[in-house]
Amino acid sequence: MLRLAGAGLLRRPYSYCDREPDADGFSLLVKEFGAGSRALARLEPGGEADCLGPLGTVFRPPPPDRTPVVVAGGVGIAPFVLFCRALRDAGRRALVLLGGRTAEDLYLRGAFADFGMEVRCATEDGSAGRRGFVTELLDDAFADAGRPALYSCGPTGMLLRAAELGAAAGVPHQVSIERRMGCGMGCCLGCVVWAAPSPGEPPEYLRSCTEGPVFDADRIAWARDPHPL
Amino acid sequence: MTPPAVPLPPAPEPDLSVEVAGLRLPTPLIAASGTFGYGDEYRGVADYSAIGAVSAKGLYLEPRPGCPPPRIWETPSGMLNAIGLQEVGIREFLAKKLPAVRALGKVLLANICGSSLDEYAELARILDDAEGVHGIEINISCPNVAEGGIEFGRDPDAAARATEVVRRGTTLPVVPKLSPSAPDLAAVARRVREAGADAVSLINTIPAMSVDVETRRPRLANIVGGLSGPAVRPIAVRMVWEVFRGAPGLPVIGMGGIAGAEDALEFFLAGASAVQIGTMNFVDPGVWRRTLDDLRAYCLRHRTAALTDLTGALETGAAT
Repeated sequence: MLRLAGAGLLRRPYSYCDREPDADGFSLLVKEFGAGSRALARLEPGGEADCLGPLGTVFRPPPPDRTPVVVAGGVGIAPFVLFCRALRDAGRRALVLLGGRTAEDLYLRGAFADFGMEVRCATEDGSAGRRGFVTELLDDAFADAGRPALYSCGPTGMLLRAAELGAAAGVPHQVSIERRMGCGMGCCLGCVVWAAPSPGEPPEYLRSCTEGPVFDADRIAWARDPHPL
Repeated sequence: MTPPAVPLPPAPEPDLSVEVAGLRLPTPLIAASGTFGYGDEYRGVADYSAIGAVSAKGLYLEPRPGCPPPRIWETPSGMLNAIGLQEVGIREFLAKKLPAVRALGKVLLANICGSSLDEYAELARILDDAEGVHGIEINISCPNVAEGGIEFGRDPDAAARATEVVRRGTTLPVVPKLSPSAPDLAAVARRVREAGADAVSLINTIPAMSVDVETRRPRLANIVGGLSGPAVRPIAVRMVWEVFRGAPGLPVIGMGGIAGAEDALEFFLAGASAVQIGTMNFVDPGVWRRTLDDLRAYCLRHRTAALTDLTGALETGAAT
C-alpha cells in the first residue's frame, strides 16, 4: 500500500513487480490512471513514497508435475515478473500469455523472454500476436502444457473468461484480483469479494487485502459478483 | 540594569492519561469502531502502547454480510464508505475474537448495533459478563443499514430509549455514539444523559454520496454512504463544542478526521475528554505514536500538567 505526500488521502495497492537478487528495493509497474498513480509514475529519482507492506497473499508455485500457464492483461502483468523470476531460479518454465488492446499494452514482455519463458501475445487490434482476446490462447496453451496450472491477473472480463475456461478444463487456477482498498490490513472491509458459497453456510465476503489478493479461483463466486475487478 | 533572565525550571512530565465514562485510559487515543477490526489486526504495525482503548467493529446478535461492493470511494480529504456493518455476530466475537483482543491488555469497548430495542438490550446483557469487555459503545448512528442505526440517533427520544435498554442490561459504562444527522445534537446528548449514558462519542460519519459522471452510476453500490476523514473535522469539532456546552457534565469522546496532535487538541479544547482516530489510521498506522508524542510536546511547551486540563479550555473572551 503506497502513498505519496500531496497525492490524495488513502493508500493505493500495488503488486510487487520484480526484485533483483541482492537489490536494495523492488520495482513496481505503474500505469497513470488517477492522481495517485500519476504522481507515483512521475516521482523524481530520490523522491519518497510511504510504503506499508508486504501485505496479503502471493502466487504459489504449482506442484512439480504441473506447468504454469500465466495469463495477464495490461498492467495485470506486474506480479508475474517476480513470480517467473522465482520459477526460473527453481529451474522451471512457464508459458506466458500476454494481452492488451494494442502492442503498446504488452508491458515487460522482454523480461519473460529473458527468464527463458515462452511468450505468446494477443491484441484486440492485431498489432502484436494474434488478433483477439488473450483468453483465446488458453485452450492451446493448456494442451501444450500437458498438465497445466493457471495463473491470472488482469481486467474483469479476462479473469471471468479465464475462470470459466480453467474450470471447464479442470485446471487449478490462482487469480490475483484488484479492488479499491482502504487500509490493506483487513479492517476497512472496503475491498471484499463474494466467496463461493459453502453448503449450509451463509453467504460471506473475502477481503482481497488479507485473504487475497491471490485466491484459488474456485473460492470466488464469479457469477455473483458483478463489480468490476 | 535588568537582572539576568532566570531560566524556567524544566516543565513537569505531563500526565496524558484520561478518565472517561469511569474508565482510566493510559492515553487519550481510542481506535474508532469500524476502522480497527476487532482489535488485534494492527498488531506489529501500529504502536499499541500509544493507544488508550479500542472500540471494536460493530456487532449485532447475528452475523451480517454487509453491503455489496463497491463500498469505498476517496473524496477530497475524505473517504466515503458503505460497508453496511459486515460483522461476525456477538457469539463468534466472544468465542473467536475476544480472546486474542483480551491478550492485548487494552481497554476494550464493544460497539453494539440493533435493529430493535430488544436487540440492543440482549447484546448489553450478553456483554455484561464478557471478560475483557470494559464498556459498551452504542451505535445509534450508522448511515448504511436499513433499520436501526441512524434512525435511533436522529431523534432524542429514540436515542434515549436505546440507551435506557442498554443501561438496564449492563453495569458496564455505556457510551452512545451520536449521529451528525440529528437536528439538535445537544438535545440528543441531554436525553441520553438522563437515560443513563456515562459519556457520548461523536461524530459518526456524515451521510454523503458521489457519482461517476461517465457511467452516471453512484460510486457506491449502496448509493449513499458515510463521509469520514479530515473533510469532516471542522463539523465534528463544532458538534463536540455544542454537546460540551449543551449537555454539561456529560463527558464527550470526540472524533472526525483526526490525523495528529493539533487536530486532537482542537477536540480537547472544544470539550472532548478523549478522542478516537479512525480513517487516518488507514492512511498512517504510525498516527498513534506520532500523535501521542506530539501531545506530550504540546503539554511541555504550554506547561500543561495534565492533558485533562485542556478539556473545554477554549478561550472565547476578547483576544488580549
